[in-house]
Amino acid sequence: MRLQAALFFAACLSPAAAIYSDEVNHIDFHHALLGNPSPDSTFFLKPSPASNASLLYTLSDKLLLGAVNPRDGALVWRQNISRSVNSPAHGTGLLRGLDGNDAVLGAVGNYIASWSAQDGKVGWESRLSEGVVGDLELLELEDVTATSGMRDTIAVVASEGTGIVRRLDGNTGKTVWEYKDASGDVPFQVSSSSTEVFYISLQSAMLKGFKIKVTVLDPLTGRQTRQQILNTEADVATPESVLYVGANSASPIIVWTDKSQKSLKVNVIGTKDINSITIDNPSGSEIRQITVHAPRKLNALPHFLVHFATEAGAWAEVFHVDLMSAKVTKAYQLPYLPGQSAVAASVIDANVYFTRITDLEAVVVSSASHGILGRWDLQKPSSDIALHSVSEVVAKGKSVAVRSALFRKHGDWQLIRNGQIEWTRHEGLIDAVAATWAETDAQEDLAHELEVEGHETLYGAYLHRVKRHVRDLEHLPDWLKDLPKRIVSSILTDEVSNLDSFGVAKSVIVATKNGRVYALDTGNHGAVSWGIQAVETSQWNVKAILASPGVVTIYSDDGSSVTVDVSTGEIVSRIEPSNRKLHSIAVFEAQDGSSLATVGVREDGTPVTAFANEDGFLVTTSIDGRVLGWFAKDNKTPVWEFVAPSGQKVVDATARPAHDPVASIGRVLGNRSVLYKYLNPNLALVTAVNEKAHTASFYLLDGVSGKVLHATTQAGVDSTQPIASVMSENWFAYSFWGDVDGSESPAKGYQLVISELYESPFPNDRGVLDSATNYSSTATLPLPHVISQAFMIPESISHMAVTQTRQGITTRQLLCTLPSSNSIVGIPRPVLDPRRPVDRDPTTAEAEEGLFRYAPYLDFDGKWYLSHTRDVAGIKAVLSSPTLLESTSLIFAYGSDIYGTRAMPSQAFDILGKSFSKLQLVLTVVALGAGVTVLAPMARRKQVNALWRA
Amino acid sequence: MSQARLPPPPPPQWVVSLNSPMPRPSKAASSIPDPPGFSSSRGGKQRQQQQQQAPTKRPEETDALKMKKAWEIAIAPSKQIPMNAIMMYMSGNSLQIFSIMMVLMLFKGPIQGLIGTNAAFAKYETPSTHSRLLGVKVVYMLMQLVLLCLGIWKVNAMGLLPTTRSDWLAWESERQPLERAHFAFR
Repeated sequence: MRLQAALFFAACLSPAAAIYSDEVNHIDFHHALLGNPSPDSTFFLKPSPASNASLLYTLSDKLLLGAVNPRDGALVWRQNISRSVNSPAHGTGLLRGLDGNDAVLGAVGNYIASWSAQDGKVGWESRLSEGVVGDLELLELEDVTATSGMRDTIAVVASEGTGIVRRLDGNTGKTVWEYKDASGDVPFQVSSSSTEVFYISLQSAMLKGFKIKVTVLDPLTGRQTRQQILNTEADVATPESVLYVGANSASPIIVWTDKSQKSLKVNVIGTKDINSITIDNPSGSEIRQITVHAPRKLNALPHFLVHFATEAGAWAEVFHVDLMSAKVTKAYQLPYLPGQSAVAASVIDANVYFTRITDLEAVVVSSASHGILGRWDLQKPSSDIALHSVSEVVAKGKSVAVRSALFRKHGDWQLIRNGQIEWTRHEGLIDAVAATWAETDAQEDLAHELEVEGHETLYGAYLHRVKRHVRDLEHLPDWLKDLPKRIVSSILTDEVSNLDSFGVAKSVIVATKNGRVYALDTGNHGAVSWGIQAVETSQWNVKAILASPGVVTIYSDDGSSVTVDVSTGEIVSRIEPSNRKLHSIAVFEAQDGSSLATVGVREDGTPVTAFANEDGFLVTTSIDGRVLGWFAKDNKTPVWEFVAPSGQKVVDATARPAHDPVASIGRVLGNRSVLYKYLNPNLALVTAVNEKAHTASFYLLDGVSGKVLHATTQAGVDSTQPIASVMSENWFAYSFWGDVDGSESPAKGYQLVISELYESPFPNDRGVLDSATNYSSTATLPLPHVISQAFMIPESISHMAVTQTRQGITTRQLLCTLPSSNSIVGIPRPVLDPRRPVDRDPTTAEAEEGLFRYAPYLDFDGKWYLSHTRDVAGIKAVLSSPTLLESTSLIFAYGSDIYGTRAMPSQAFDILGKSFSKLQLVLTVVALGAGVTVLAPMARRKQVNALWRA
Repeated sequence: MSQARLPPPPPPQWVVSLNSPMPRPSKAASSIPDPPGFSSSRGGKQRQQQQQQAPTKRPEETDALKMKKAWEIAIAPSKQIPMNAIMMYMSGNSLQIFSIMMVLMLFKGPIQGLIGTNAAFAKYETPSTHSRLLGVKVVYMLMQLVLLCLGIWKVNAMGLLPTTRSDWLAWESERQPLERAHFAFR
């Protein structure tokens, strides 16, 4: 009882519209993505010498460095290195780590840093002034000078004409010694053995090609001990010709091939001999790719594997290096198998194991002999090509267990443990460029039936309805069968998790830049229901993605479109690209909203075709910053044209959302009079900046007549910072970075301006048109009365959206994406009320209206953060969708990470809360019923006895 | 032989005194008050007879008396007005169970009074007073209406009367544009 009271008090005290901790992971989901893991910078690593647990580290092509828990695929930590890199040209990054060493080292461009492997905290970082980092190697050797703590690093810095080899202290990043090579050779890589550091550079040969030069350095002092030049100019044409420079093994090797790929050349670093091994190609077809897999541990056996892939199949050969004679001999061969395979090397103590994963099976062999230690059939063979993998082998007596992180071509990163897929990370979603909410077929059927009923006569509609219900009876047995389960589940689980029938579980279709389409189920933590390669391209410039019942159509800028079935992911139809490059796609919605007609808009703003059967107007933007209005039947001459004043450039244009219901057409003031809202669905807000004068202008246009209804200019605007704007109902908002140096307002910083439009400044007045039921923009269009207010906000807003609910009764939230704090915040509209009294307390009437005193600084309340503690990075756009529940709006954010949640701006007024106990209610009713049945006979007997006694 | 009838014996003293009227008490005796609980039934009867005799004797007088009584009833509601006004003023304009109940009581009283106007004055209704009671009834009804107005004022103060523009806002509709623009901004 006391506990209940305490809980009740806690419920009363907890903040109102915030996200409760027990709703986390319940109403929201987050795909914290890394991007495609690079093959050289992905590895399993045991971060702590005390524990045997290992994490999976990677540096992706998006320069995101992350650690993934191999157990469930959850992200442990993540760092965005691209933010730290300031050199313009940076290629792929480098990431190195050592078992038992709580540091991973990463380098991109001229930036090099060390992170704690367990929690991702930065140990040290430095930016090199000399050039970019060419290669990185952690020194595994234990010399006498090594202090406890992090291992030191050898870095190769490619400067102009010189190569610099540096030994960096593991704890501080300071230079221990430095070796400069001013010979003009191309700095290539660094490698080390237990006693020496090898600096490999490429020396330009006289005619063409490169000679490989190996400089042997003393690891303690950095002094050059000897130098060798290998005559490889016939084979090595470019630095890419060198296949492998073995790192940190007892006998590091350099591997390359001759130009015809007939023989493999191997040099054990430090020796002069070049071992030439003939490649014996069992398939006969051309070798597409040769990769070398060698252990990266100092004490591992000097064995390595060369993997040959052709178009149709792959095989691998295992070689042993003789430490004494530095001779390389072929030990055995993994047979040629059709299909793709990925090989990874792993080390236990000194033993080396190779894991080969083909399309059908996973095989583990020891490097010493060709006997298969473990073989597992893959549970779900994938047709997707495996690009690369890393493996971790655990020996249990004679048998082995293996887990491999396999990266597939279509962007799925899978962990396969003994043939079973443990988890899949859909890293391809990081390139999401467009998304939309899918509409399912089932809703459409009912909507159609209801529409038929609405159009028939009273009697006909009644008959139709009776027939429909009779037809529905066929679902009755199923429904009855489900009933006990539903009752039990509705009692056991709370309401919040049981809302799928209210349109809360919608699927989202996401299109990515590399031509893939995914369907995400928001009712199932955003799980990927299907993913397809819709277009084979690396630059899919999606202009519009439109959902119609059962299908979505994705329009690209080359005029092509793909229609995909929502439930299965099958491509229904496809329109081939035309030659015209499109700037945007215009969508005509039919009056009932069922059918969609689209027309492409060229870069100069002209529609590609004219619409004979459409009466509407079309507003387009051109690439040179004009806004054009068209009559849909005529695509030759525009009806109107908006050109920003000279010096200004149109950067953005926005309109009210397609679904933007208005619950009340006026605003009730404290004295019960009404301020009428200026509601016009044809409004467009155009943002134009003047980069020289540092101004930003916002023009409110009428889309039919092109009339400028309202214009405002903000001074001191930094046009390089994001300027976001949004429009809904009778208001619009925008944010920018402003530095007004005028005397009246010393405002400097990020500003958020909100403007509300009213029909008249006076209450109970509907302006010129008064009580007219319709109006024409071309005849009389009164100007709105605009009330604006600016707020100083703590950080920049890169994108704005508005929550949408079914009927618009719920108060709206302004959804702002905050790129610097990686979060999404929903600012309640009542806070952003431009009518808040300035420099005085509100009067009683104003207070009754909900207005409170204006404060110029708007701090984002912790309760407004929809993303709460999550690190939702790189969001480019936020979508909102109504559900069948008026209180609830679905939110989906994409761009880099994928994030979805539900917003309830006016709290969950139409859902039973978690505190509502159905079980308690049922038990109370049962107890009352039992009480009545027990007491009723007793009471009756008593009454009868009383009658006899009288 | 003839038996001569004996004359009846004289009645006993108590019979004589029972039948004969009580001698008028002496002056001294009349000053002695009756014992507590004793009521002289004859005396009561006499008084009733006297009372019944009085109106029959003077009808104008009784009519005047009835009118006086009727006026008292007609004026009575006005005495509630100040009390109700203070109560309504003090109870505040918020919609709470007590203020709502008080307002309901305020409406119930006058409405019941208006319906029962004739019943309230039925006692004083005689053919002779009928015409004169009409004015009394009008005053009575006016007083009830004043109370009713007090209730309406209160309801209005509570904002329950649809007298302002906002009360009819839901019946006003959005102005529809004759043209529709479609935007292709993306």
